[in-house]
Amino acid sequence: MNGLLQDFRYAVRQLRKSPGFAAVAIITLALGIGANTAIFSLLDQALLRSLPVKDVDRLVILNYSGSNTGRLQSRADGHFYFSYPMYRDLHDRNSVFSGMIATDFTQVGVQWHNQPDLVGAELVSGNYFDVLGLQPAAGRLFVTADDVVADANPVVVLSFSYWQRRFGSDPGILNQSVLVNGHPFTVVGVAPPGFHSVVMGDTPDVFVPMMMKAEVIPGSMDLEDRRSSWLNIVGKLKPGLSREQAEAGVGPLWSAIRSDELKEIKGGSENFRDRFVNKSQLFVLDGARGFSPLRSDVQMPLLIVMGMVGLVALMACANVGSLLLVRGAGRIREMSVRYALGAKQKRVIQQLLVEGLLLGLAGGLFGMLLAPRVSSVLITMIWGGGTGDLPFSAKPDLRIMLFNCGLALLASLLFSLAPALQFWRPDLAPALKQQGMTARSGPLRFRRISVAVQIGLSLVLLVGAGLFVRTLHNLRSVNAGFATDHLLTFGVDPRMAGYEPDRTFALYQRMFETLRGLPGVRAVAATNDPELANDNETGNVTISGYADKPDENMQVEQPNVSVDYFSTMQMPLLAGRVFTDQDSAGSQKVAIVNESFARHYFGDPQQALGHFVANGGGKGVKPDIVIVGVVKDAKHVSLREPVTRTVFFPYLQSPELHAMTFYVRTWQQPESAESTIRRAMQTLDANLVLDTFRTMDEQIDNNLTAERVIALLASGFGVLAALMAAVGLYGVLAYSTTQRTSEIGIRMALGATRGSVVRMVMFEVLWLAGISIAIALPVSLLLMSAVRSQLYGISSSDPLTLGLTIVVVTLVAIASAMLPARRASRVEPMKALRYE
Amino acid sequence: MIESARSEATKIEAGQPLIQISDLTKVFYTDEIETHALSGIHLSIAKGEYVAMSGPSGCGKSTLLSIIGLLDTPTAGRYSLNGKTVENLDFAERSRIRNQEIGFIFQSFNLIGDLTVYENVELPLTYRQRMPAADRKARVMEALERVGMAHRVRHYPSQLSGGQQQRVAVARALGGKPSILLADEPTGNLDSRNGEAVMELLQELHREGATICMVTHDPRFAKHAQREVHLFDGKVVAEEELKKLLAETSA
Repeated sequence: MNGLLQDFRYAVRQLRKSPGFAAVAIITLALGIGANTAIFSLLDQALLRSLPVKDVDRLVILNYSGSNTGRLQSRADGHFYFSYPMYRDLHDRNSVFSGMIATDFTQVGVQWHNQPDLVGAELVSGNYFDVLGLQPAAGRLFVTADDVVADANPVVVLSFSYWQRRFGSDPGILNQSVLVNGHPFTVVGVAPPGFHSVVMGDTPDVFVPMMMKAEVIPGSMDLEDRRSSWLNIVGKLKPGLSREQAEAGVGPLWSAIRSDELKEIKGGSENFRDRFVNKSQLFVLDGARGFSPLRSDVQMPLLIVMGMVGLVALMACANVGSLLLVRGAGRIREMSVRYALGAKQKRVIQQLLVEGLLLGLAGGLFGMLLAPRVSSVLITMIWGGGTGDLPFSAKPDLRIMLFNCGLALLASLLFSLAPALQFWRPDLAPALKQQGMTARSGPLRFRRISVAVQIGLSLVLLVGAGLFVRTLHNLRSVNAGFATDHLLTFGVDPRMAGYEPDRTFALYQRMFETLRGLPGVRAVAATNDPELANDNETGNVTISGYADKPDENMQVEQPNVSVDYFSTMQMPLLAGRVFTDQDSAGSQKVAIVNESFARHYFGDPQQALGHFVANGGGKGVKPDIVIVGVVKDAKHVSLREPVTRTVFFPYLQSPELHAMTFYVRTWQQPESAESTIRRAMQTLDANLVLDTFRTMDEQIDNNLTAERVIALLASGFGVLAALMAAVGLYGVLAYSTTQRTSEIGIRMALGATRGSVVRMVMFEVLWLAGISIAIALPVSLLLMSAVRSQLYGISSSDPLTLGLTIVVVTLVAIASAMLPARRASRVEPMKALRYE
Repeated sequence: MIESARSEATKIEAGQPLIQISDLTKVFYTDEIETHALSGIHLSIAKGEYVAMSGPSGCGKSTLLSIIGLLDTPTAGRYSLNGKTVENLDFAERSRIRNQEIGFIFQSFNLIGDLTVYENVELPLTYRQRMPAADRKARVMEALERVGMAHRVRHYPSQLSGGQQQRVAVARALGGKPSILLADEPTGNLDSRNGEAVMELLQELHREGATICMVTHDPRFAKHAQREVHLFDGKVVAEEELKKLLAETSA
């Protein structure tokens, strides 16, 4: 113990004595550990962590196979979505689940003291909190009785963070009334802290009973519609029952439910009817981590970033290892003295381990301090800008922190052992007579390998950075098909302010008039299917005179747009005309199609004019909407997605309109129009809740968030890796040239020029870099081919990127060799010869 | 100091050799060249004796001292220290013997620059199992007082003169209360005044009963020893023979 304390004291002194070395090693470790912890923390929350609820290992998610011919509102694979009658049947008639809950997410307008808020809401079955074993933070949570009769119990539970944020944690809000979409709801309680939703990634601010769906989602009259799928089901297995047993147990019930649904499907062949019931199976999937539409979106980007940050952490370890080795080489004499005075190997290694431990602790500590900040920046970058809570927390998770801290300690201990190899069996006699300063070839070889690994890893990371940066550049350079500059966008849903459908058109007309009259506004348009918002509204279309091929996909985009939509968005007209005010409810129904639609179905834009189309498919559908115009293609879902075939309808001819996204083309910078627009809309109706204001450039940025984050992180990690490799290479070269001082002196005494000495050092560098690049290049190609799906407009083996990266790595290697080479070239032969 | 040394070192009978070396050889192999540093050395050093080993550069005296100090191993031959055969011990056992039985004084002092004077002297004692801190402190202060450096305990080696550093090195060698002090050119890096002072210190220690084996190429300092062992080309030779060989070589 005493020896340990002494070693600790000495280690502290050693680090204080070499602040440069200590700072580089600690910062390197801190960056490696901090970035690793931050990314893994996000990955853990998104992909691995269980829900913070009771008996989480008994939670399951329901999913089924087989066709769904009804209406579907989904955020993920449609087979995870059920109708309310299906849920009720499964809940009431099963014998394998001890509880079963239903859930759906939407947005609502909440008004309190005349202040409207657009917030996330989770529609939940009455047993939601009970099945999850949650206790209220204040008041009470829902009970089954809250969710029995439709529209009967307007009660709401607040999320803990919304209670804090909006109501200042005031318990006085309990039993008070707030307006939800204009309807009075009583606040009955507050959900526990730390719980967001059973759907991972959702952060609702309020919970509402499912029976209040009509108030929460105005216009939705499908609570009893067996053919309208919109909710997710989470079950809780009875104790001791496996998922396989539950699946087998619930099978007959599922067949009965499908049979009930089949009764409501008219027509269909015998084969179809047989398959619909008998080939459909209900699956019981692990639900400990919750259902998550977000998970599949973030999985690949997070895994890529995790891979990169893992390489950075590996580099950090190799870097600290090589620094320790270089430093250790200068301590051969000290260690030899210790041996000469009777130190045993165990004791010398103990001292080295204590030094490594101290470095690891300091690096780990700073890394832990850094991690939450990195997480916070990333979370805000990826998910910021919306309303309500962010889906992930930057708060450090103790398990992950301890694990990473442990890893840091282990890594530093292992790398402390590397110098220990140097001191395992030193040649004591020559070392003590100052002849033994030259390290044995083994450790030098190890240092070279360590540096080669760092150069190789930096090449891999820089190749990744290059490809992702060019992907982002390519996406930004994509022609959206409409003018994205001077364009401001915002959304509005009149239902949230209590508007019934019959008043919606009039409101929109007033909004158009008001907006067009604002100073600095050039044009105004609106659509119910916003551009570049990762959003699509597709449906079947029937075209007169066009015989669709077997299995041909007749799904097209079907946005409803305002009269000035194409001129405001600056989408060029290729044939026919644009919509006019005369295209209203009572007149001939008209449509405008995009170029892809026209070319696919008619071969040419001009040919499309005058043809009739209809929404929906099947024999009973009669096309009665005439195509009056063709516009040039524009990107719709995202810049990455190919153009989809589109039929635009005038919103005045839409039977019912709800939420619309407005586009305001401005003369000046679009941001400056926001406050004017907000004031104008407030004057129009103070209850209107305007959704996120964005310029189109911000919208595109938002659309490219994943690509932007990957490119940014890859570049950051690439630069960091190059710096680490430079430090490692410098360390090895500085050491090896010092070791060769005598040799260099002899060479110079024999007539070598300074240039030839520089060339000699550079040769060593280029040889090392060359070997590293030769090994790392195929590894890079292999790794990059695995992330091909995330690239755009560039091959994973793009020769330009690879070539540039090799040049950069070589230049970094040369730059880090400059100083040692210069120092070597300035050796004075006489001094160098005395050095020995 | 020497009384204490007797109590710690393995007891041997008076007159019996502390060091007994027979037919010892050391060969260095580099590439395809064999260099015979020592060839058939026979040497014994009695307890309490002060022996100087001298000879021209490359004669093997430092190699012999390294083997005596268990810093190196012989290629062949026998070596017993304190009655125990030591030529084939493993690394750990040699470390233990170095720590307990041998005190080193090097030409280049070999103090550790990051440790204070006190810590340098304490260092070999910290390698001993279960030695109480109070005992260590007493030993360190006793050794430092013995060499007149007790007033510099908090200083670092770089803050001392060469002579002072060597006195600290002597204190470090004494602190462990070894059976024998091995000094390799202890005055080699010192001016004549400091060199004389160190030699006087060694003589005082010898008078108090210490066994000392010193390598030196300076005949003035060799005369301080009780007995001089002359080496030439890896062999022990008589003084007259050494003179003759040196004369032949220079001729």
